[in-house]
Amino acid sequence: MNTIESTLSHPTSTTPASAISVCDLSHWFATAEGTPLQVLDQINLEIPVHSIAAILGSSGCGKSTLLNIISGLMTPNQGRIAINGIYNDHSGPSPHVSYMFQEDRLLPWRTAQHNVEFSLEAGSLSRQSRQEQACEALALVGLAGFADAFPYQLSGGMRSRVALARSLVQNPSILLMDEPFSRLDALTRAQMHEELLRIQQLKQMTIVFVTHDVEEAVVLADQVTVLAPRPGRIRSTLAIPLERPRDATSTTSSQYIKELKSLI
Amino acid sequence: MSAQSTPGQSQTRTIPLLWQRLGLVALLIGIWWLATLRVPHYILPGPARVATAFGLIWENGSLWQDLSITLGRVSIGFIFATAIGLPLGIILGANQALGEFFEPVIPVLNTVSSAIWATFAIIWFGISNATTVFVVFMTAMPLIITNVWQGTRGVNADFIELARVLRMPHWKIMLKVYLPSIMPYFFSGARLAFGFGWRVSLVAETLGSSSGVGYRLRQAADLIQTDQVFAWTITLVLMMAVLEMGILRPLENYLFRWQKEAEH
Repeated sequence: MNTIESTLSHPTSTTPASAISVCDLSHWFATAEGTPLQVLDQINLEIPVHSIAAILGSSGCGKSTLLNIISGLMTPNQGRIAINGIYNDHSGPSPHVSYMFQEDRLLPWRTAQHNVEFSLEAGSLSRQSRQEQACEALALVGLAGFADAFPYQLSGGMRSRVALARSLVQNPSILLMDEPFSRLDALTRAQMHEELLRIQQLKQMTIVFVTHDVEEAVVLADQVTVLAPRPGRIRSTLAIPLERPRDATSTTSSQYIKELKSLI
Repeated sequence: MSAQSTPGQSQTRTIPLLWQRLGLVALLIGIWWLATLRVPHYILPGPARVATAFGLIWENGSLWQDLSITLGRVSIGFIFATAIGLPLGIILGANQALGEFFEPVIPVLNTVSSAIWATFAIIWFGISNATTVFVVFMTAMPLIITNVWQGTRGVNADFIELARVLRMPHWKIMLKVYLPSIMPYFFSGARLAFGFGWRVSLVAETLGSSSGVGYRLRQAADLIQTDQVFAWTITLVLMMAVLEMGILRPLENYLFRWQKEAEH
């Protein structure tokens, strides 16, 4: 394990127990009538380092808002977020965090390679190191031969892989995903799950993903947090200590799936 | 970067199209010839006379000299219009407050006749290159701004959010998201602006110049050399066709190769 890690892992000086801590988080949206609508109520959440956490809930339970707040895209009205033990000062997205959206959001005028490089263009990396890192990330998701393809030339699964490569190329310690595979067909989604688990093992990342798909939560996550809707609040958090690879149809998995379905 | 496999496709289409175009030209020349049979040549010269006049301006060097003078003036005006119109359009489109404030200016600029700009230009610049350049500039710039501005409204908000998550500074978002998104709009605006610029340059040259195609046109008209007026007209049509098919069309195909088949 360590030999693989050494080339790919990122430097972390301290290793706090929680990659993400959410403390007493509440959030409201302004409405047309003037009375603010509460979307999140007193959320407390600890996500251990190197684990995979699912946030599960029906639509409208505030799970995407929660993810946006963790990512730093949105500032909460109340409460605090710590990333790797450091409280977010609300100055925007944290550099340790990478975000994968529900849609692939590939820039149509860029090739796969240049779409991946886009992630690195905010900083001042040289063109050559950007190219090298993007090549590496594309190879990691199994798209080494498609560097010069434009998004319209790629299938849905391949586009999703490019989006994943774009999220991974910055070597984030935390990857946030907002229903990233919900638009794929079942077979492709299962392939992407395998791919994601393989890469998570390799890079030792912490992954937090939002989903409304109970099977997806059970197949991927170490810990599933179920949100109750209106306002979004934590109903319960369930640990899933099953061996990987997991099969959603196995009896043990089915038990977890049944239990989670009863909680939603 | 490779040009992909598109040239082969377009070739199979252009060959029959080329024959169609040649047939159209032959038909028009035939009708023209028939029409001239009963009309004095100083009203409507026939194809043969015009060909002779064309040979004359070719041989005395006026063709290339005046054509390049006019083309140079149009190009300079157009380059200025692009250099100012493109960034201005992006800024006005990206910044709502500025956009709202300056919104009424563009329709006003667009409604001012190029003859009025030409009149002002003669007052300000006299009989000089600057007169034509100014008129082209004043006509082309609002067209480019309008199109670019329109284009900024079509910029996908998802891509901007993606860039924000990547902590991209504002100017880079302009350069890497806005600019490529508005390129198709800019291109159609630029094409329109160049066509307009070319037409108004002739008006400007007939009024305030002692060289260029516009000036030659007026000179020939004053001397009732109708055959030369025709020869110049045909030259202009040919030149626009060459620019369109030799430069604009291939450039567009290259720049927007990522759009091929993108609209299913």
